[in-house]
Amino acid sequence: MMTAADFLNLLIAALMLAGIYGAMSVGMTVIYGVMKIVNLAHAGFMMMGAYFAYELFQRFNIDPLFGAFLALPVFFLFGMAIHWLLVRRLPKSDQPTLSSLLLMFGFWLVLQNVAYLTWGNTDMSILTPHTLSVINLGPITISTLRLVVFAAAVVSMAILQLILNRSWFGKSVRALIQNPYAAQITGVDDQKISRMAFGLGTAFAGFAGALLSMLYSFNPDFGRPFLVRSFVIIVLGGLESVPGVAFGALVLAVVETFSILAVPAGYQPAISFALLVVVLLLFPRGLAGLMQKKWRAA
Amino acid sequence: MRDLSLFCAGFRVGFRALRGGIAVALLFSATSVLVPESSRATAAADDTISIGVVLPTTGREGKPGQFQKEGIELAIKKINEAGGVFVKDKGKKLLLKEVFYDDGSDPQKSASLAERAMSSDHVTAVVGGYSTQLGQAESVMADRYQTPWIATGAGATAIFSQGYQYAFGALSPVEVLGATTVEFISKLVDQGKLKRGLRVAMAVENTDHGVDYVGGVKEWIAKHPGYFQLVFSENFELGSTDFSGLLQKVKASKADIYLADAHLQDYITMHRQYLQSGMRHQVVSYGARGPESDARKALGAGTDYVFAGIWWSQRLPYPQVAKFIADYKQFTGREPDSWYAATSHEAIRALAAAIEKAGTTNHAAVRNALHSVELKNSLLPGGVLKFGVNGQAGYPFVIVQNKPGDKVDIVYPKESATGEPIAPRP
Repeated sequence: MMTAADFLNLLIAALMLAGIYGAMSVGMTVIYGVMKIVNLAHAGFMMMGAYFAYELFQRFNIDPLFGAFLALPVFFLFGMAIHWLLVRRLPKSDQPTLSSLLLMFGFWLVLQNVAYLTWGNTDMSILTPHTLSVINLGPITISTLRLVVFAAAVVSMAILQLILNRSWFGKSVRALIQNPYAAQITGVDDQKISRMAFGLGTAFAGFAGALLSMLYSFNPDFGRPFLVRSFVIIVLGGLESVPGVAFGALVLAVVETFSILAVPAGYQPAISFALLVVVLLLFPRGLAGLMQKKWRAA
Repeated sequence: MRDLSLFCAGFRVGFRALRGGIAVALLFSATSVLVPESSRATAAADDTISIGVVLPTTGREGKPGQFQKEGIELAIKKINEAGGVFVKDKGKKLLLKEVFYDDGSDPQKSASLAERAMSSDHVTAVVGGYSTQLGQAESVMADRYQTPWIATGAGATAIFSQGYQYAFGALSPVEVLGATTVEFISKLVDQGKLKRGLRVAMAVENTDHGVDYVGGVKEWIAKHPGYFQLVFSENFELGSTDFSGLLQKVKASKADIYLADAHLQDYITMHRQYLQSGMRHQVVSYGARGPESDARKALGAGTDYVFAGIWWSQRLPYPQVAKFIADYKQFTGREPDSWYAATSHEAIRALAAAIEKAGTTNHAAVRNALHSVELKNSLLPGGVLKFGVNGQAGYPFVIVQNKPGDKVDIVYPKESATGEPIAPRP
């Protein structure tokens, strides 16, 4: 029989998880929104973010939380370089193309193999004085690290939303998302904005990877299980909406966490897939699209 | 003139013969390049015995697989330094030759490589199969190709209850691991360190290994009423990244003892999240995982007081264990990490003894010899390695406990103990 304290602990665990899921998915949604590219290399960028934080910690004793924020500009530039080198050569389309899928998948494999060559296949982890510390508030127990990661994720998404709403770059991104042709007519340089958007998406992937390195062990295959969840979240939340990503992350985290009460833990991976199927069938524009529809109807 | 024309005719014939000879020589060279080296070695070298080794040195199980490979290579090195294995039907000693295959922790690849070793590379025997999943995949090949196969890292009973004639296992059954673990905890109850009737929660990997572990625990509890009550038991998938939901259920079960059965990476991930959730059971164990250096590196003092039931410990008080540790350190530059290298080392020694007993490298004869061989002065607990009727070895487990300061003590059985068990967890 679940007590109120147990329920509260589960709810808090779900919230913490939602923050992590949101941070790891938002990069993918920015890239898809502007370029209609399903970025399969997202997992590779997250993995590189984890190793980036690890190297900073090992070599310079830089706390991985600080390393995560350092990852933002580094991966932004890296993403822009990848766009200039590879992505801009893809044929333009307002739908995801096979060539973009294959390109990003291939690049993911390249990143994985570079990581295998550089760091080997041994699982790495980062142990800091905060890794195992907890905050006890009566019957409620919160992992300090999870709380920190949650806060960092929420702050980063809030800043991203601010950028998208208030800056010239953000307006250009939203214009391209809404109608790329009209945006170009009004003077938006789609190549430049696409490059910056790709950089931004990559930056958030690296940032998320660095945050996750504090919570999980990682190896060159790190990011694969999170990639699947990111798909679910961006579909749930609407493929081009940052608040939708936050909402989708919350829904997935709550469903995954509380479903454990009804189904054995072994079936938990199936929950995200089942949710994806339901949303694709019933809400193809995601829950954010559904909310917009209701708002317009009202 | 006639002499000159004869000379020219002879030259033409000679030249054609030379051209043909060169073509034949080139053809033989090309064939020798195309035929796999391992096969050529097997076919050509009558002074070596090829042993196929199929283990993961990359992928999820790469670390323990690498340790097992080192144990095998050390054993082969020692045997070869002593002159090799005497094979009566050759009338001489033959050296052991390792033919290594990395299965990348993939069960399909593991099966395929075992098949290749047995079918096209014609090895005398195959050793390998680290972890139950990979071992199960390889095990089907042994009888198919009638080639002896010794599992060095797979202990699930399901593998050895298929009626296979050519499959052997160097690990004691996992059911016995579960039973030994809970029997040890019952001794703590008898000593007054723990109360009777404690509640036990279990989380086990969703494999035959996990099934056996739970089975061993449940059977012991059923046969010894009053000691413990099992209040929660659930499976989880290998390689999960998030155990928070499962651990919440464990927490909600209000258990006093937490027994998990996990692979190394899952142990590290789960135990990190266990500690981050603030849980604190009187006794915590992750099956055969506990003292691994990777876990210490990842979790530091968080691994203190964790118990593990393992197939071998470097703390065993046998002279052959001290020698093995010294040899291993000289061979690899470090001490053995937990039990992995020891079981694979002994598997090779048992195989060598069986070949010598059989007097031949004939598969059926080696198989028969493996069934009857008794490796004395073994590193393994009990000092003897012998395969049972179903091919699986049976020897006692040791329970070890991690202690502060990176110390690990054998705490059970008493005759091998190097320290007192600390329970309940401080």
